[in-house]
Amino acid sequence: MRSLEPWVEAPLTAFLTESGARLTLLMTGAGQVVAQHGFTRSLDVMSAAALGAGIMAATGELARVMTTVPFESVTHQGTALSLFLAGFDTPRGRWLALVVYGGETSLGLVQLFFGRMVEDLGRAAPAELPVQRVLAEDFEAQLNSSLRSLFGR
Amino acid sequence: MPLVNFTTREITCKLVYYGPGRSGKTTNLLYIHGRVPQDRRGNLISLATQSDRTLFFDFLPLELGVISGFTTRFQLYTVPGQVYYNATRRLVLQGADGVVFVADSQARRFEDNLESFQNLQENLLEQGVDIRQLPLVLQYNKQDLPGDLILARPDLDDTLNFRAVPSLGADALHGAGVFETLKLVSSLVLQRLSTPSGSER
Repeated sequence: MRSLEPWVEAPLTAFLTESGARLTLLMTGAGQVVAQHGFTRSLDVMSAAALGAGIMAATGELARVMTTVPFESVTHQGTALSLFLAGFDTPRGRWLALVVYGGETSLGLVQLFFGRMVEDLGRAAPAELPVQRVLAEDFEAQLNSSLRSLFGR
Repeated sequence: MPLVNFTTREITCKLVYYGPGRSGKTTNLLYIHGRVPQDRRGNLISLATQSDRTLFFDFLPLELGVISGFTTRFQLYTVPGQVYYNATRRLVLQGADGVVFVADSQARRFEDNLESFQNLQENLLEQGVDIRQLPLVLQYNKQDLPGDLILARPDLDDTLNFRAVPSLGADALHGAGVFETLKLVSSLVLQRLSTPSGSER
């Protein structure tokens, strides 16, 4: 499991254990990964987050066109694996969850324990950390070198 | 603002390539995808129509390497350029850390460029983002076409670049200017993290 901030891990671990989900990805509405369990390659995680956020954004837009309240969740039923996507509010803003589960569990269980995870996250979130400088002022030399290596120059 | 993970020391930035239809946004991503080693990039995801026009977005994740001790990743998105896809453009633009506006240098696309640039400003404003505060680079693509078909860079600057942001000419199909564009926009985005008030967490 990897998470942006440590306080996310306990609620996510409890959800994974209780729901029997295989993969779970928490992200911002813009598709930025907050935490994940089950994906092996970071670049695949970003792709899954981008697609998940895209589905939720498109569904939200559909709700707007239909002049109804936004849909809370979307499910895709597959033969081997199924997908549960949902938006939820946290003290850090609105996040999205993408949950992949198999035949060993059910949509009902996933939904039940997902609701508990959302409550747990709300309780676990600490106050925002103070703003701090991230990169050194001379970061550009390293950036240019990384880009040159990326493009084989 | 880029997402920063202090525990694993990772930075993730969302960069959006914006511009009118057929200006070369997807071509930029295709060139990058073709040049970057496989272990430093993910698959290029393209949600396109049957005729290969972008329907929702193209997406390419890149792993840049370590900068100031942080593993830095870029998420490159394109938006669909056609006027009638504005709803999806707005969605993709959400949370963008930087924008590359890919203009078509052909003189006959003058109005399309203007309309798309105005649309970018409107969509950002709708999300509460002032375009003056967002890292932005203008790429004048197709500068390789015959001179009588295209507008020169100074003319395009006069039309589109009234905020005097970095701009450059490009031939994305053959790669000219693609690397330089990415370098410019990533530098602008990361600069925001090198100041004391730069990060969210």
